Amino acid sequence: MKGTRIRDAIFIASIVFAVTILAVPTLLGALGHMPPVDVRTIAIKYLNNTYNPFNQSIWTSSPEAVAAIVWDYRGLDTLFETAVFYSAIIAALALYREILGKKDTLEGRGLSIIVQRSTAISMVGILVVGFATILHGQLTPGGGFQGGAIAAVTSVVAIVVFSRLFIDRSRLSYKHLLVIRNTALVGIALTAIIPLIFQLFSNQTTFIFQNQGKAMSGFSYPHTIADAPMGGSIWFYNLFEGLAVVSAFSLAMIIVFYSEELSRKTIEGEESGF
Amino acid sequence: MLELADLVFVMLGISALLSIPATILAIISRDLLRAVIFSALQSTMYTLMFFLLMAPDIVLVYVAVSIGFMSLLIILLIKKVGRYERY
Amino acid sequence: MGSELQISMYVIVIVSLYVNIAVCMYGVISKPNLVKKLISFTILQDSINAFLILIGYKLWKPGILLQPPVLLDWNPTSEILKQFLERAVDPLPQALVLTAIVIGLAVNIFLVTAILHVYRHFNTVDMDEIGKLKRVVVVEETT
Repeated sequence: MKGTRIRDAIFIASIVFAVTILAVPTLLGALGHMPPVDVRTIAIKYLNNTYNPFNQSIWTSSPEAVAAIVWDYRGLDTLFETAVFYSAIIAALALYREILGKKDTLEGRGLSIIVQRSTAISMVGILVVGFATILHGQLTPGGGFQGGAIAAVTSVVAIVVFSRLFIDRSRLSYKHLLVIRNTALVGIALTAIIPLIFQLFSNQTTFIFQNQGKAMSGFSYPHTIADAPMGGSIWFYNLFEGLAVVSAFSLAMIIVFYSEELSRKTIEGEESGF
Repeated sequence: MLELADLVFVMLGISALLSIPATILAIISRDLLRAVIFSALQSTMYTLMFFLLMAPDIVLVYVAVSIGFMSLLIILLIKKVGRYERY
Repeated sequence: MGSELQISMYVIVIVSLYVNIAVCMYGVISKPNLVKKLISFTILQDSINAFLILIGYKLWKPGILLQPPVLLDWNPTSEILKQFLERAVDPLPQALVLTAIVIGLAVNIFLVTAILHVYRHFNTVDMDEIGKLKRVVVVEETT
């Protein structure tokens, strides 16, 4: 124990030293005037052009600036983030590929019937709130990822309250969830590539991830839905991303929930750990 | 005389100062279940900070992910690997 | 501009985020349990994201209330757009932090699966004991 006391004392001294060495230049003004006096010029350009009906050559027809930046002005960043999320889920699934889909050895019954009936009623409400947040992503704060995280509470609660056996036999087994996730990702890719396909059939130049019409191309997604601004392609992106996030969270829960007996089958045949 | 701007900044300072003991207790405690609960408390303080900084998109993501999903995942992990740290 | 109270509160928030980051780095390096390392790593990611959003805030000019970067009028005139530009907070750090939170979540999900796999091989999640076990196996294999 004495070795750890010396180690802890050295670490606490170095923490205090590091915080002091960072805080002194901050107090002397290294970060500029704090809080900043005005937003930066690039933010002024984004805020000015995101819903400006007088200058429709670079607008995005969505009055929410954050959704417009994430899916239109900086759409390629979001493309790579979606790829990272997808590979993380696939890597976690690949460690368990022998036992996915097998019947679990434990027989669960879930919780009592009062809890089950009331959960069944409230799950509908949670799903409605989640999908409303997804579909309003271009008008109010919300969007694909936020609404997907809210709607994923449904599947997590369902695995705990009804038993895991019930979920495996229902229509939300891991195969169907994987199909939903792959379809949603294909939907995102299609929404990005449709302008290029349009270029093959007509004679205009279009760009990948294009949302509204620009000065040199006439292709544009529709910009109102009923009487509210629709972000063009932003609405489609939010819908597909919401579906992808719901299925990704449910898959992650299913992987962690396997019983120990069944999970030890994946390391059979390896005596040492590396 | 206190105006509205002063109150907002004072709330920011209080919620940031309240998150320091939560973090320190989360890292020092040897019972891992308590560490997860303190980490959820620190996430609540951060959510209040994000709301006062006028970032409603981040509040929605952060509540669902950090207080809900990550705490649940780590509690399941603790159930499988063991609850107490050695030292 | 900005009173003394406002500037000092803002600096207190920045310094408390520095303290959080430093304590979490201690937690990641020095504690041998893998689950404790994961919890410290999660808090470290959240503190860095909070610092990014803090940079996008603005000073309150007298008589102007700040608002999030969402335009509320669907047929804006020129005057409304100018008011929006004076009141809105910076939207760019919020978009970048949204991406960062999703990537951090993906890495954390994969780390949880990896910790379970390590536990099933070595039957412990303490890094000191795993180091001793690996040394024993290597010595056995080379003699």
